[in-house]
Amino acid sequence: MDEFLETTYDKFIFRVKKDCLYTKDEFWAAIKGRMATVGVTDFQQKSKGDVTILTTVALGTELKQGQAMGDMETIKATIDLISPVTGKVVEVNPALQDRPFLINDEPHGKGWLYRIELTNPEGDAGALLSANAYFEIMKEKVVQEAKKLYG
Amino acid sequence: MGETPSKQVVVLACSGIGKTWGALARETALELVERVRPGVAKLICLPLLVINDTEARRSVLEHPVITLDGCPKACARKSVEALGKKVEQPLETIQFYTAHRALKPEGVAQLNEAGLKLAQVAANELGSTVDRLAEGEKI
Amino acid sequence: MGIPVAKIGIVPCSGEALPAGTVCRLACRQVLDKLRPGQTVAICLPLFIAGGEEERGFAARHPTITVDGCEKRCAAKATEMFSGKPVQALLIPDILAKHSMPMPTRLRSFGAEEEAAVRAVADEIAQAVDTAVAQTRTLENQHGAV
Repeated sequence: MDEFLETTYDKFIFRVKKDCLYTKDEFWAAIKGRMATVGVTDFQQKSKGDVTILTTVALGTELKQGQAMGDMETIKATIDLISPVTGKVVEVNPALQDRPFLINDEPHGKGWLYRIELTNPEGDAGALLSANAYFEIMKEKVVQEAKKLYG
Repeated sequence: MGETPSKQVVVLACSGIGKTWGALARETALELVERVRPGVAKLICLPLLVINDTEARRSVLEHPVITLDGCPKACARKSVEALGKKVEQPLETIQFYTAHRALKPEGVAQLNEAGLKLAQVAANELGSTVDRLAEGEKI
Repeated sequence: MGIPVAKIGIVPCSGEALPAGTVCRLACRQVLDKLRPGQTVAICLPLFIAGGEEERGFAARHPTITVDGCEKRCAAKATEMFSGKPVQALLIPDILAKHSMPMPTRLRSFGAEEEAAVRAVADEIAQAVDTAVAQTRTLENQHGAV
């Protein structure tokens, strides 16, 4: 799949979508003009487990880059969702209401979280990691997680 | 593992080994078959469908089926659908937790106390579904 | 990338309808979590059968050990069907017979006797892992690391 950078550990395949930007908090943003679609990274959903309960912010909420935009509960933990961009929520993924585990199934596809109308697209993009830069960070995180599990 | 008599309901649990939800699917199925509706609910090992076990396939095709999947990959449901049959009651165990959030299951090899309790609750809730399916009702 | 240790896929049958299926599940988890962590990877049989990319990909690239609860040998057959012959195909009734242990009669709520059976099976699986790792290392030394 050319649209992704991939790394494998044991049986797990970790994917990074090339046309997205990323945060170290494990969120992605696909920015097109003044709009962004945002979601949870593949590494995050794999390492934290199946999402059981998702709490989102309301339509129209004004978010700032780095601010909480809800939370998700998995079998392992409750994780804050951190906005990678600044702007107004214009769409909350309706499919996640009944099926929050779409975040696990397709973190870059059907599992997107919000569509956001951006206040400062260039500023936001400048503060985010490129896919390649995030990929290197993610690979290191994968190794660290494995060391924690296996010693 | 004999043939399933009529008026029985086949239960297929994914029993996924890597996740708590798989363990919950398995335990819920066992509760249903051993305690809640013994003699009516019948367990069949899921992989038998894929290795073309004749009796297992016949049971699934000729009786109403409840599938208990541990995750959205829905292996149990898909295995039945691969035989050309629509599952009468497909379920994902995560749904039981979201309906009973005080009972958070943990453990993969063996469930914790809350998980075992959740399996009991889930099986209790499924008892009436088994009854309806055994009577030939459409869910 | 990653820790350079030979990895072996463990494929347990997911038998729910037989006590041996429970023995299988518990024994495999002991191996994965306690006896050989870091050397073994759980292959979820239902996911493997349903076309799970990760399960099938791993089984195609790494040696697998299947553990079956009965003669129907679902794990061994499915593994061979979808990725290739396992390096070892273990059968729980054979293992228990070897150790002169009776087959448990309960599907769950195992007591001391059943736990002993689980441990015996887990030890056999662990030995099979060691053999598979040694064979993998021999091949790597002969042909160069993969």
